[in-house]
Amino acid sequence: MKRFLETGNFAITEGAILAGCRFFCGYPITPATELAEAMSLRLPQVDGVYLQAEDECGAMHLCIGASLGGMKAMTATSGPGYILYADPFGWALGCEMPLVVVNSGRVGPVSGITGAPGQGEFYLTRYPTQGGNFECVTLAPNSAQECMKMVCEAFYLSERLRMPITVLADQLITDGFEDITVPETDDEMAEMGFRTWPRKTCMGPEFYPYTDELDIPPVQMGSGTGGLCSDWTPTVEGYDIEEVTEHHRHAYRLIYKVRNNKDLFNHHYEKKFMDDDPDLVVVSYGTPSRVVNTAVEKARSQGLKVGALRLINIWPFPDEHFSRSTKYLAVELNWDGEMVREVQRATPKDSDVHFLGTCGDLPTIPDLLETFEKLLKNQPLERKGWVLEAW
Amino acid sequence: MEYKSTELIDKYLRTRKIPSTACSGCGLGINHKVVIQAIDELGLEKDDIIWGTSIGCAGRQTFATWLGDGFAGTHGRVYAIARGLRIALPKEKKIILTVGDGDAFGIGLMHLIHSARSNADFTVIVNDNLGYQSTGGQFGFTTPQGVKTDSSPYGMFEHNLMSEGMDVMHILEGSGATFLARHVCMDGPRAVESVKKAIMNPGFSLVHMPYPCPTNFASRHLGSRKAVDIYRWMQEQAAPLGEEKPDTVWATGVYVDKSGSRPEFSDHVWRTVNKIKRTGTI
Repeated sequence: MKRFLETGNFAITEGAILAGCRFFCGYPITPATELAEAMSLRLPQVDGVYLQAEDECGAMHLCIGASLGGMKAMTATSGPGYILYADPFGWALGCEMPLVVVNSGRVGPVSGITGAPGQGEFYLTRYPTQGGNFECVTLAPNSAQECMKMVCEAFYLSERLRMPITVLADQLITDGFEDITVPETDDEMAEMGFRTWPRKTCMGPEFYPYTDELDIPPVQMGSGTGGLCSDWTPTVEGYDIEEVTEHHRHAYRLIYKVRNNKDLFNHHYEKKFMDDDPDLVVVSYGTPSRVVNTAVEKARSQGLKVGALRLINIWPFPDEHFSRSTKYLAVELNWDGEMVREVQRATPKDSDVHFLGTCGDLPTIPDLLETFEKLLKNQPLERKGWVLEAW
Repeated sequence: MEYKSTELIDKYLRTRKIPSTACSGCGLGINHKVVIQAIDELGLEKDDIIWGTSIGCAGRQTFATWLGDGFAGTHGRVYAIARGLRIALPKEKKIILTVGDGDAFGIGLMHLIHSARSNADFTVIVNDNLGYQSTGGQFGFTTPQGVKTDSSPYGMFEHNLMSEGMDVMHILEGSGATFLARHVCMDGPRAVESVKKAIMNPGFSLVHMPYPCPTNFASRHLGSRKAVDIYRWMQEQAAPLGEEKPDTVWATGVYVDKSGSRPEFSDHVWRTVNKIKRTGTI
């Protein structure tokens, strides 16, 4: 193992290379630029190709092409680029092409502030393209070290589920310097919980079977299989067809290959102080979870019965964590309240769901502690000017 | 050499998709046959070629017709997919893309230019039916001036890539394309020869092939769905390069043949990667 004091972007690069990624195509955008730079430095050293595309839409399409040719591929961007992935994301979902997409979130909408973290793409990573009739998987790490592992995990899942997977980070995670340990051997990878899966080729003639089965390799061009893939509804052989019954079968697979195989990824979460049925469960993901964890520790030391639930696998939303009727507080880096809507949906009807959002900055520990106290005393959360909004 | 379509179909195409669902009198099948004939004359086999398509009439009708591997991109993106695929494929595998004018010169023009810029080894056959015909007949970026379509009921007046002396070929040449040709679909053996050169060029090749659409284009502009009327109209406005008349819209022949003058994209990238790995420099 090697240790570094490095950024999340560095960690993502190493995680991708460990997973077998040998093709990266991107477009410069803060705060994901350093990731592209790191890829341009590292990939040629491991027989990989780094390319810069004409825009993000082109970048993800180039990744699709490389994956279609049998390479493990990745692209990375921030919100304004992620929205340009909408077109290729749909293609990769429909054609079931393994890919990894990293989104380093910054505050928006649109360009917003380049140097401020944001969590405005919670729903966008669930609905990254149009048309519906698909399910998505999103992993949201909260540290550089976890970025490395989750990017590797995203490659693993993308191969087994035959689909593009989003790793949703934010500006603080990708740009921040942290202590990072990089495994160097297969044994070290296994010891650290890194999972990999080799690329295989679908030999056909059934390229799009109507099943929720895992481990069906993707269609590959150039291997003489007569493989077909297109943006249209496919028959089982890959022919384009305008038949609703065929579309039902296609949509079934796109949705249920994920929903029926959640045990592949639903162990990705972290619970702190959750064993004694806390009176308040604080739910978060990504960077704010680090503040939340500290605040919850402090709250416990003050005798407040508060627990922290950190989601790493944020999509499909892990409803199983929300079966208990109690008070919940969703903490997010946005003011509009995104994850909190899912928390409210997933919790029993008599639960009490609250929201604390920040916009371009992080929640502070005093703010969190004050909020915990108020909620536990059944006092209403008040709007403090622009700063704190009751949901 | 005389070709019977049925022999070419048996050898190279999927009978499930041939005959296509194209409208009666559509010229796309002629262009398609030109490409298949060129492939056959070059002695290429089904596994030598990966066939990509776009959307619209040209893309949808040609998708999954090739007996070997085939893919289709969304609107205008197939060039970007093909560039990624080019990196992954061995260089002896050829990529042919059959696309439409809206796809190549409208929504996909930026990706097309960057494919020419990088001299990526694939052949783009732009089957140009002079507008957006699969959506019912709207003007496009090669629709001749004055032509009436459903979205230019008074006649095409917006300047496009084929008006005022402009030519999309100039853009592509300036972007670094190493083989460019233009043929109307009735050019026959001359078109086959150009497509053969395009396929064999180890770099970015494009053949622009206008073809008649009796159903939408001709019915609006000529007031006739008779195939003979639109074929005659198109042929009257086409002439070989060097023999153009003042009213020639499509000068046909090879525009650019700089085969081998620039490094090919994938070859260049892989050579450089290998050198960096060995020496740490480019």
